[in-house]
Amino acid sequence: MPRSKHHIIVEELRIGWGTKVLIEHVTFNVERGTVFTILGGSGCGKSTLLRYLIGLEKPQAGRINIAEVGEPHHYEGMPPFGVLFQSGGLFSSMTLAENLALPLAAWTPIRGQTMRKLIQAKLDLVGLGSFADHLPGEISGGMKKRAGIARALMLDANLLFFDEPSAGLDPISAVELDQLILTLSQDLGITVVIVTHELSSIFLVADDCILLDKQTRGIVAQGDPRKLRDESRIPFVHNFLTRSSPNGGANHGG
Amino acid sequence: MYDFFAAFSVLELVLFSSWYDFAAVRWPTLRGRRRLGAMKSPLICEGTGEPTKVCAVAIRTNQEGDYASLVVSGSFDLAHAKQVAQAVEKVEEGLSRCRSIDIDLVHLERIDGTGAILLARLLDRLDVEGRNTRVANNQNPEAARLIALYRERRTEHMRPKPSGRNPAARVGAFASEMFGGGTVALDFIGRCAASLPKVIASPKSVDWRSLPRLIQEIGADALLVTSAANLLVGVIIGFLGVSQLGRFGAVAFVPELVVVAHFRELGPLVTAIVVAGRSGAGLASEIATMKVTEEIDALRSLGFDPVRWLVVPRCLALVVTVPLLTWVGDLLALVGGLAATTAITNMTFHAYLQATLDDVTASNLFAGLIKSPFLALAIGLVASGQGLLTHGGAAAVGDRTTTAVVQAIFCVIVISAVFTFFFALIGV
Repeated sequence: MPRSKHHIIVEELRIGWGTKVLIEHVTFNVERGTVFTILGGSGCGKSTLLRYLIGLEKPQAGRINIAEVGEPHHYEGMPPFGVLFQSGGLFSSMTLAENLALPLAAWTPIRGQTMRKLIQAKLDLVGLGSFADHLPGEISGGMKKRAGIARALMLDANLLFFDEPSAGLDPISAVELDQLILTLSQDLGITVVIVTHELSSIFLVADDCILLDKQTRGIVAQGDPRKLRDESRIPFVHNFLTRSSPNGGANHGG
Repeated sequence: MYDFFAAFSVLELVLFSSWYDFAAVRWPTLRGRRRLGAMKSPLICEGTGEPTKVCAVAIRTNQEGDYASLVVSGSFDLAHAKQVAQAVEKVEEGLSRCRSIDIDLVHLERIDGTGAILLARLLDRLDVEGRNTRVANNQNPEAARLIALYRERRTEHMRPKPSGRNPAARVGAFASEMFGGGTVALDFIGRCAASLPKVIASPKSVDWRSLPRLIQEIGADALLVTSAANLLVGVIIGFLGVSQLGRFGAVAFVPELVVVAHFRELGPLVTAIVVAGRSGAGLASEIATMKVTEEIDALRSLGFDPVRWLVVPRCLALVVTVPLLTWVGDLLALVGGLAATTAITNMTFHAYLQATLDDVTASNLFAGLIKSPFLALAIGLVASGQGLLTHGGAAAVGDRTTTAVVQAIFCVIVISAVFTFFFALIGV
């Protein structure tokens, strides 16, 4: 049976807490092997939407369907995707190597020397090869992010979710991360969903995006971010993607 | 009371001003420096009115029919915030009949974010009440822009002052929250119970590696404090027994009092309360911190159930260690009772020891020790449950830890009382 073109299908999703609605009527598809970004101003619900996509919360209404997984909040078993959390989400009582070993030990029969080699290779990939025995408290915020990315890659899932991966990274590490994302997507066919504010990163890596707005509590634009930047007539979309002030302030590029 | 509200207003303004620091510094960059004109600093506007040596704060009202002009003078800044707040409140009281109100800023000596917020909020309140307000900005455009900035960037909706909360509504809200908390507790206990078969089916879903560390932290590290507490309770029972039973010449029954009171009731209770305060707080804050740093979310995203991974080993460590701590505490309480009694009475060491050995029966010992695992389980469930319920930042961790300790101690006392009642019923 041919695999579906869409890796994630979101239909009429409504999310929030209790009776409070954060965003609603959210409908979009993420195609296989693409880099999809979720954009929006601070507090508009980007990271919250990500929590629903990875199954940490149950939607108030609507449906999320991940190919070969189904509805993520009902899924149990070996995680079908890797996740990088905003703060890294590393276990503070474990070293970086132990953090990376955890998913392998829990879900695969890999042990011993092979496991150590895999962990070292993933840490080398994100430039943390010499920090395997460090605790998360002993490394910087940007390094925690990179270690979180390495852990997200441990099970070699074909779907990755990154919550603000470039935040806290130095410019060189950020560019290297963008290159890594492009490699994962283009060479290995991995689908990557990113929540980010970094415009330079978005225009470099993203194939598709949605832009959320707090005022309208939903999606205001979706499509290729470069096209949206150049062609969108919606002031919010234009201002967001060209980094302009709604009051006609200076454009700082991006 | 008035001073209290004025001080509160000042505090509020200081908080708002910290946001203004950002806004004011960004503003020149965004709008161009020329528009700021004569503004000397991003935070303070010097007025163009006649300079006065003393920067007294005043709002003079020139009223004609339903029109009023408010002439603002002096230093409307953080240093004079209390006076500004009082002046604004006073002038507002006198404007009840005015339909059209102008603010004249020409005599304003100084204004910063604090003064601008107070004037902006006054104008907001007047607008909400349907009055026409206007800031005469041709004489002092910088100050007018500063006030306008705070009016433009307001997100809270001005509402009439509440007339006081309805007592019935408050009772209803309290009852609703109480039942809501009970539902959450039952839900958590249900999840824990449902996880037990899964633990048996899939033992690797539990973090067994943490068990030795937890037993060390909850048991061995707490031994000194629980032992000291039990020893002192033994001494207290001994002294109390001598002082009360001695009046009837019944000092010989003091050893029995110490054994029965401590073994059956106070030993498990004191040990559990100390463990709830010490380890309960530690467990709750550890899990709460994991929650706010997204470690719990990461755990779930890796396919682990936090109840099985975190709660099961913690409850198990408590269930194993608390009875042992209680048993050691029981022995030390006997020593305390012995020391107290032999120190202040003629009873000999051997006589006390013999009497104690006669009273240490299986019934007395196990009536107490059988409670301990249940008390330990309650501490573990309450501490872990509160930790997992945490939302927010560092303050939430502190709140949940406090709640966990209070609830754990309360649960320990209630469960102990239930056991005592049950044993009394069945005659043990």
